[in-house]
Amino acid sequence: MDKLLNPDFGVMALTIVNFLLLVWLLHKFAWKSIIGALEKREKQIADDKAAAAQARQEAQNIKAELDARLQQIAQEAAKKMQEAVAVGNAQKEQLLSETKQQAQRLIEQAKAQIEAEKNQALADVREQVVSTALLAAAKVTQQQLNAQSAEKVVDEVLRQVSSPSARV
Amino acid sequence: MEVSETIAHHILDHDFGVMVGTLHLPITAHTVTMVCVSLVLLLTGILMARRGKSIFSRLLHTAGEEYVAFMRDGIVIPGMGVEGKQFLSYFCTLFLFILFSNLAGLIPQMKTITSNISVTGGLAVCSGALIVYCGLKFHGLWGFIKTFVPGGTPWWLVPLIFPLEVISLLIRVCVLAIRLFANMLSGHMVLLSLLLIIFIIGGMSKIAGTGSAIPAMGLEIFMTLLELLVAFLQAYVFTLLTSIYVGLVIHSH
Repeated sequence: MDKLLNPDFGVMALTIVNFLLLVWLLHKFAWKSIIGALEKREKQIADDKAAAAQARQEAQNIKAELDARLQQIAQEAAKKMQEAVAVGNAQKEQLLSETKQQAQRLIEQAKAQIEAEKNQALADVREQVVSTALLAAAKVTQQQLNAQSAEKVVDEVLRQVSSPSARV
Repeated sequence: MEVSETIAHHILDHDFGVMVGTLHLPITAHTVTMVCVSLVLLLTGILMARRGKSIFSRLLHTAGEEYVAFMRDGIVIPGMGVEGKQFLSYFCTLFLFILFSNLAGLIPQMKTITSNISVTGGLAVCSGALIVYCGLKFHGLWGFIKTFVPGGTPWWLVPLIFPLEVISLLIRVCVLAIRLFANMLSGHMVLLSLLLIIFIIGGMSKIAGTGSAIPAMGLEIFMTLLELLVAFLQAYVFTLLTSIYVGLVIHSH
């Protein structure tokens, strides 16, 4: 059992040589390639992540720009809407005003026409009365008048004046 | 043959006595196993490095990458910092070599070479050499010597502290060898003892020997599983402690 704790320096030396040779061989034929592939993949992943982060940043910038533009468009639309409402109100007021003026003008024209027709009718009546009076006077002068016949003539004239055909 | 002799016979190394002239070559059961383990490891490494089109090849390559990433991010960089990346190949080989050596004993007719103090001593010497190499590389000769004296030590304590620190480094290296050797040896001794229980009791009474086989085999299976765990654990501990010791020298300030 004492051999268990007594190192064999030949075995120890062989172990060292074997192990160092194995380290060198594995480094040359295995680990170098695997480490290279691993680092390449990690670099690719890091690059992809950086590209994704950059794309995300760009997308956020574009979104912010679009939001700002949308807000601007909304403000412009609201402003134009207010302007349109104001223009509409002004046009409405103008139309109302013009309509009132036109209506007033029509009323005044109608009143003037009525007045003119009334005056015309009065003139016609006056003319008719004058002509009737003249007619009556002519008849009075042309006939022998007595009190009785004079009354008959006057009645005749009054009848003619009161009849509808005589008015025209 | 006594029990202790039987156990020693199974655990001790057997020299084949190969001589070249007057030179005695260390061709033993353990060294033969060590060469076999190294060849298997080399073959595995080469297969892992290849990027074939078959699923097996791709799986092996992916496993290799994951293993290297684990060694780098789990052992080397935490223990040594980014400076340790240049020694990644050493640690990748060290872990797998110890693991394969530990597991080799579970294969019939193979030996657990890490239950040999000469083998673990050789590995510890390699780790010690790496510690010294890193100390010289990162600090120079004078800077490396100064790392053995902690900052703020009074001048009159230096003659006492310096040898203590040197001995401390040597002890760390020795402990690396002894820890691995003792753990693997004890596991195999327990396994052999459990098997021998059957034969000892069987020698006294065949019926009792047969009866004792069942619990002994149950314990044997349990211990084998424990040995499997210990094989991984000790490989991890040896590699981790080496990286920490090297890291202590690199970052001594």
